Amino acid sequence: MGSAEEDYNFVFKVVLIGESGVGKTNLLSRFTRNEFNHDSRTTIGVEFSTRSILVGDAVVKAQIWDTAGLERYRAITSAYYRGAVGALVVFDITKHQTYDVVERWLKELYDHAEPSIVVMLVGNKTDLAQAREVPTEEARMFADNNGLLFVETSALDSTNVEQAFETILKEIFHKVQQQKQRNSQSNTVALASGSPDGAATAQEEKRPCCVAI
Amino acid sequence: MVVQAKKRELKEAQKRKKQLEERCKLEESIGNAVLTWNNEILPNWETMCCSRKVRELWWQGIPPSVRGKVWSLAIGNELNITHELYDICLARAKEKWRSLSTGGAEVEGEDAGFSAADREASLELIKLDISRTFPNLCIFQQGGPYHDTLHSILGAYTCYRPDVGYVQGMSFIAAVLILNLDTADAFIAFSNLLNKPCQMAFFRVDHGLMLTYFAAFEVFFEENLPKLFAHFKKNNLTPDIYLIDWIFTLYSKSLPLDLACRVWDVFCRDGEEFLFRTALGILKLFEDILTKMDFIHIAQFLTKLPEDLPSEEFFTSIAAIQMQSRNKKWAQILAALQKDNREMEKGSPSLKR
Repeated sequence: MGSAEEDYNFVFKVVLIGESGVGKTNLLSRFTRNEFNHDSRTTIGVEFSTRSILVGDAVVKAQIWDTAGLERYRAITSAYYRGAVGALVVFDITKHQTYDVVERWLKELYDHAEPSIVVMLVGNKTDLAQAREVPTEEARMFADNNGLLFVETSALDSTNVEQAFETILKEIFHKVQQQKQRNSQSNTVALASGSPDGAATAQEEKRPCCVAI
Repeated sequence: MVVQAKKRELKEAQKRKKQLEERCKLEESIGNAVLTWNNEILPNWETMCCSRKVRELWWQGIPPSVRGKVWSLAIGNELNITHELYDICLARAKEKWRSLSTGGAEVEGEDAGFSAADREASLELIKLDISRTFPNLCIFQQGGPYHDTLHSILGAYTCYRPDVGYVQGMSFIAAVLILNLDTADAFIAFSNLLNKPCQMAFFRVDHGLMLTYFAAFEVFFEENLPKLFAHFKKNNLTPDIYLIDWIFTLYSKSLPLDLACRVWDVFCRDGEEFLFRTALGILKLFEDILTKMDFIHIAQFLTKLPEDLPSEEFFTSIAAIQMQSRNKKWAQILAALQKDNREMEKGSPSLKR
């Protein structure tokens, strides 16, 4: 530890959710390690990855929780939404069923996460355009109507993966900044920022050790 | 210089000789163990399985050639599943696959339509997961030698226990059994294994009962590794973060396969408590580094264990874990916690989670 990776100003907890097999784990490995695995293993429970990016002058460390997509697991995984400031709801553009259930995923998310959570709808597997079942415009409209960010990605050929994560992290960052300004007026800053070891300032909510917005 | 080089050469040769001797010794001891298992223990299973000598030999790891037999005997067949029943379940599964792939003409009212969709999802999921089960071994993937076997066992199980169906994690368990047993016997062991209380609680995702298991685990965690326990508490690192994956797959996804099989050996001998003892053994083995880590590093570490886990140290570490807390054994602690839960639920339904 103690490496450059550990020098950050903010930690944002972001959850990856969506049906089994839509490519959550590969989106994450593409973003954090620039890797793609054709036969990645089934995720059981939850797996973790981190990556720090620069937003303006600030180093933002994304702490990403990659959850299992199995419906039956939801009782377990929904506990993992607590303290998340961002969520990527992923579907597979070649399987309409994975898009149909996005609304259920959102409900699940809003039931367990903070209402201010930044949510992005992600249509993955654009490399399989010939098998597309979900038109881009349909998904974009749904996202617009529901106040979600939207992007289409391909973890396989890297299209938009970086952009997806950067966009959501920036959006969270701006929300946090606004909150900070509001809070500075009322003199109650509830942010765990500016501390290189992150843990020092976020005492009571250390698990996500990130900011509450 | 020449003298030195010669010396070095001699030393190397001695080292090689010693390594060879050790390997021979190891192979010999495995060979002896196979004989003991085949000639003495297996023919007299009922009387010998619980003897001290057998238990000790068992701990050393069951030789791969008799592993399947021992697992079958130890898991037992409480459910009285026959090879015929497996064939029947498999035939039903195949029929369903056919009717689903041809569009299905079996819709009988709305209920049936709904369950057909459910089944379809379950079958899709099995297909999806098979290729994601031990991908490195390349034997369960499409076209691999055990692809159809794994598919058959999982499909047959969804027909045998439609109330449980297919749940992720099962493919790993079935795969390990397939590596050690013939298909029908693997199915029998699989169904009986999943029927055990701990496995049923997890695979039916009985959240309340799972939390009870985690609570029991924490009692022994605190007892055995108080410092690390406090560190985890301080970091809000709850056991579900790492235990879910370990318990659902019986360590077959997180440990190297040979180590996982040795864990299975003793799990077959000692039952569910060994799964939790193994977890504590892992925590103990890495206690020093874990104590220096924060939440995210611990979580990352435990959900992706090092690939070069030293097997002897690992088992020494497990052996050092005491499964007794204030004179109470695992089963007693678990039963007491379950009783507490039931009383709480009865007393104040509002407290129910």
